[in-house]
Amino acid sequence: MPVAVLVLSALGCFASALGGVRGQDRTTEAAPARALDDAALRAACFDLLGRPPLEAERTAWLGRARHEFLDHWLGRRETWSQWVEEQLYYFFLIDNFRPENERVGELPQLLAAAKLDVRSAIHRIALSPSFDQRNPGADTFVTVVMEQLNGLRVQKNVRELEVGKAMYDGHPGAFLGKSGATQADLLRIAIEDRSFVQQLVAREYRRIVRTEPDKTELALNVRRFQRDPAVFRALLREWMLSEAWDARVRSRTSAPNRIWIAALHVDLLGREPLPEESRRLRTALDGLSDTGPLRSVLARVLIDSGQVRLPEKAQIEDPTQWIAGLFTRLLGRAPSPAELRTFVTVFHEPECRPHTVLYALVTHPEYQTY
Amino acid sequence: MPHNPDRSLERVSSFASDRRAFVLGAAAGALALPALARGSLLAAQERKTKHVVLVAFAGGVRTRETFGAPSNVPTLEALAKEGVLYKRVKSSNLGHFGAALSIFTGISEARGIRENARGGDPTLFEYVRKDAGLRASDVWISTSGGAQQTNYSYGLHPDYGARYGANTVDGDGLFNAEFKSILEAWGRPRALPAKEAELLGRMRGAIGGGSAGSGEDSARVEKYILDELTSGTADIRGANAADAKAIRVARNLLVLFKPKLVSIVLQQADAAHGSYNGYLEIIRRNDEALGELWRAVRADQELRDSTAFVILPEFGRDADLNSRRGLDHGDGSNDLEYVTATCWGPDFARNRIVEEDVQAIDVCPTVCELLGASATKARGKRLPKLFA
Repeated sequence: MPVAVLVLSALGCFASALGGVRGQDRTTEAAPARALDDAALRAACFDLLGRPPLEAERTAWLGRARHEFLDHWLGRRETWSQWVEEQLYYFFLIDNFRPENERVGELPQLLAAAKLDVRSAIHRIALSPSFDQRNPGADTFVTVVMEQLNGLRVQKNVRELEVGKAMYDGHPGAFLGKSGATQADLLRIAIEDRSFVQQLVAREYRRIVRTEPDKTELALNVRRFQRDPAVFRALLREWMLSEAWDARVRSRTSAPNRIWIAALHVDLLGREPLPEESRRLRTALDGLSDTGPLRSVLARVLIDSGQVRLPEKAQIEDPTQWIAGLFTRLLGRAPSPAELRTFVTVFHEPECRPHTVLYALVTHPEYQTY
Repeated sequence: MPHNPDRSLERVSSFASDRRAFVLGAAAGALALPALARGSLLAAQERKTKHVVLVAFAGGVRTRETFGAPSNVPTLEALAKEGVLYKRVKSSNLGHFGAALSIFTGISEARGIRENARGGDPTLFEYVRKDAGLRASDVWISTSGGAQQTNYSYGLHPDYGARYGANTVDGDGLFNAEFKSILEAWGRPRALPAKEAELLGRMRGAIGGGSAGSGEDSARVEKYILDELTSGTADIRGANAADAKAIRVARNLLVLFKPKLVSIVLQQADAAHGSYNGYLEIIRRNDEALGELWRAVRADQELRDSTAFVILPEFGRDADLNSRRGLDHGDGSNDLEYVTATCWGPDFARNRIVEEDVQAIDVCPTVCELLGASATKARGKRLPKLFA
């Protein structure tokens, strides 16, 4: 384990121990290590749950230690449900190709209970009829297996492609150095190969931390995973307690459509979108190279739909506090003095409604990042 | 939903002012071009071609089922008789995504078959927008293959990129009954009074020091999307529904916006993996839909003598049926690696058949030249024997 991680883990244990002896009066306590502020809590929820925190979760977790949050959520079905969704999207097993069978459906529960590891979970996904239908024919199937599971370019591995295609068609051969004679053998060999672990650990690191993994650390983590695939949960925890993840919180990138849709529902309606709502909106947004205009339309349509509960203007006693609260809740940061000054000035104009303030925040490009 | 001609007229009228704004913007942009690009632009201005429709008749389509059996593709056949037919166009089996991208970049480049990321090379959309000073609203891609195909709009080359990208619309993803039903349930956005709109702009402008942009083009696209949702495109059904929507969207874009470049990327012929007959049916229906597009162009006074078509598959399919009586793509045969390209337009030769080998990557520099741009990074060259 890298030194930095050991130190962080120790800090985490220390904070945890503090938590164990805490009394009722929290104001007398030292701040927990890596306390969750709005930005970190919002980022952590996006990374693990695919959505921002619900209001009750904000109340429960703001100011608490990040490791406590991770220890709680890494054992929850919701986290692994989101992880499975990410994998399905990675394999483009969406819409008509989404696996609906029981063996894939039970993955989040099994992963949360640590009764299955992520390698076995991906193996199940790849064995589903949907994966086969999504990638029809020997050439497509073997190409996708090599590229997406093993991170191999088929143009540079023509021999493996040809052997794989023959194996897919039922002919014996040695694929990635191991013998097999069926489509199932092909998948098993691909998933047991070191290149699969390398590809999985690297792409998951990129997804969570948003940078390329350090080569030495990646090699170490690949070895750890090969010894015991169950270590993946610990890897996620380490990554999200690292300084690199702190940097990820500070950097923002364009939110994928599925994340933006979840954020809009949680932030405006106080609930997650239903799967069908999410799918319909995501399919529409995925059909555009520049989703900004349609996202703005959808945000405004939702605000105008009457489903979003907003106070009457006269009921807002302290507009400065109300506006600052919207900034932290929706953008994960406090407004700058200039932003606050402009918003408060505009708010006092008779034509400005609370809706207008909300439009400004959720249709702004910053809200479309995470 | 039945088509409502009054509604179409209303939309044409409302877009007319947008159109004038586009023309003025393009003219202003041309003045700021470097000398080389200005030279290409001047050469293009002497041609009759002012609009190009580039169709990636993709999903893997063999010549055997098109010009090898002309009754399947009467539209392509008619276009070829009035234009130029390239019988041997070398393509590369780079997966559907990579092979179609090669048509747009002019570079055969291996891409992951399910890779959902942009390429590193500029596309013809970027060349055309940069060199000809076109706005995003003048360059469109209409696709049928979902999220992955939005990556065609631009690459990541530092000299080009997003600021020169095309508008991409996936007809099936956007214009479908399910999405329409959500918008109907939520309602339309409330039109803001002028003062409230101004206040909104002030607040948006203040966030992050004012990085929201003008949104002028965005507003036009917003309006187009909302109008298209009510035009009947969302209700298209059938074996080739996604492809048909892509063609329908392109037709509406052409007639309403008169853009310089519209590209269409079809995909559903890939049903061939599991059904040869289904594949044939999709080819026939797509040809029929292209016929409607062609008729719409010829019926339009501005477009009929100024629009060129370039149509080709990204690659073919295997020579022999697979065990499911379908057709895969991976045998390295001539059926897979050579396709046919059809070119029709006011500057092109008529009824000419070119027997010599050309390449699919030659399309990018050819289209760029037609529109006054120079595909400087492309490795293809202009299609030979094209012009009259």
